[in-house]
Amino acid sequence: MTHEPPGTPSVRTVAAQVAAAALGWLHRNRHHGALPAGTTAELADPDGVYKPLGESALAGSLVLREGLASTADLAAARELVAFAWTQLGEGNLLYERQLRYMTMTDPLEVYTHFARAGYRHRRLHTLLTHLHGLTSLRGAEQMPNRRLAVANAARVARVDHALDWPALTRATWLGHTPEPWALDWMTAYSVTHTVFHLTDWGARPDGLPDELQDYLRTWLPVWIDVWREIQEWDLVAELLIVDACLAEPRCDPEDWALLAAVQREDGLLARDGRPVSEDEAQAFREHHHTTVVAAVAGTLVASRFRGTSAAA
Amino acid sequence: MSEPDASPQAQFSLATEALAGRVLGALTGTQGPLPPTGPPAAGAPGDVKAYLAAVRVLGPDLYAPALLRGTPPDPADTEAVTEAFRVFPPSPADPPETVRRDRATARLHLGLGGEPLPVPLAPTAAEPGLRPAAGHALPPWRAWSAHLAPLSALALPGADDTLQAEATRHSRALALGTTRALLRRDHPTAARLARWLALTERRGAVPALDTEAVLTHIDLFGGGSVRARLDTAVARLLLVTAPRHRRPDDTGAAGHQERPPA
Repeated sequence: MTHEPPGTPSVRTVAAQVAAAALGWLHRNRHHGALPAGTTAELADPDGVYKPLGESALAGSLVLREGLASTADLAAARELVAFAWTQLGEGNLLYERQLRYMTMTDPLEVYTHFARAGYRHRRLHTLLTHLHGLTSLRGAEQMPNRRLAVANAARVARVDHALDWPALTRATWLGHTPEPWALDWMTAYSVTHTVFHLTDWGARPDGLPDELQDYLRTWLPVWIDVWREIQEWDLVAELLIVDACLAEPRCDPEDWALLAAVQREDGLLARDGRPVSEDEAQAFREHHHTTVVAAVAGTLVASRFRGTSAAA
Repeated sequence: MSEPDASPQAQFSLATEALAGRVLGALTGTQGPLPPTGPPAAGAPGDVKAYLAAVRVLGPDLYAPALLRGTPPDPADTEAVTEAFRVFPPSPADPPETVRRDRATARLHLGLGGEPLPVPLAPTAAEPGLRPAAGHALPPWRAWSAHLAPLSALALPGADDTLQAEATRHSRALALGTTRALLRRDHPTAARLARWLALTERRGAVPALDTEAVLTHIDLFGGGSVRARLDTAVARLLLVTAPRHRRPDDTGAAGHQERPPA
């Protein structure tokens, strides 16, 4: 549990407000994320709607997992997950996609968010259990942080088989504790995702080895500072999730006050400092991911203060 | 062909780079294309004034070859320092960092055979410029980095023991500042802060960064500013005399994390 020093602005309150606003926007605008009629498991454009559906489910599932939101927001989170599940044919699309493409990992990576929220697709589950027991999957040629994404998805969905977490961790950029000034935009996303998956989105801070905790505690302030300066809000918000996933998060009130100030009143968090389109559908396409990140970051930070007074 | 910019500011910038190049040549043992010694020839008063202003600004760095390589100071340079303080005497309105720099110059100058300069050799007030000014909104690591970067000329043995002790206590903040500067590709600032890092390492701070790798990176990516190369050259010589620290490879342990001082 994290405590806030008296007399400082309440990070817990600000983070909870950011999360609630972001969740509200995701919920109100969910119809923009509907799969086009006639969508099949082949998915000509997997990143267009399919991936955002999974991300909405991620945000909803984490709000439900932490269970600290208001009754109305918990209901919105349930509806958001249910909407995405319905769009995916109650898991049938994932099942068919996995059948069609045996080595693809995205059906599991999407399914796991529903599994976290209590959903289950029996045939997909059986299929995934089989596939994740194969040597082929362990030998798949993947980026190390992507391999961790699959490992954590398998762990959450309970289809995992004897994963070597230390080896998976060492293989990542972060696992090497490299020169912190050698980080670039893409590598920064590798770092954030490495932390998300090792800690299962903050549920297991001890999934991050001590030396990586120390490393991140030391260098996160610089990275957040640099990407704040150029208004890369998506990455800033992901780095704030990383902070929230540490055993001893920093939860800098100034970072959170800034994020809250940048977030629009309707809950959308723009991915960067450029103007947001007036067109709702375009705004949804371009800023859905960052708003999901805001919902997750706010939820996890508020959760780290679990048990303390909201007015602290 | 465009006319050369003859503004005093442009002349001063050129003179500073030229003088820094001479010091760099003396430090690295290379012969550069710059005047070998002393001020420009008489008859070019603008140039002479710009040169003396450069002497005032580089200050302690003029003695870097003597302090780090044991090269005796060129008498013409020593005289130029005296002359620079005559032409540009310290002013009560000087900012704290200028006061510290001048005091360091005066101490080193006297210690290396120069005449006394019109500068108090001991602080006249409560160590002006020792710490970042209070009341700013920056986090401490940024405040310390912003405070010390312009004072990199004081990262020389014997230049300012009090400030160096304070910098050593804040070595971690300087590592964060160096990292920020590198990520922003602000290589001149990175060079100044890396020089401080080397100095703190020499004084026993356990480095949070591989300073040698930082210096090489700045040299290769920094765009070739002479003053930045002077900072990295000084830093390399400071590292030569730094106590050996266990490297990450020695133990197989994680690398660039903060560790408590030994």
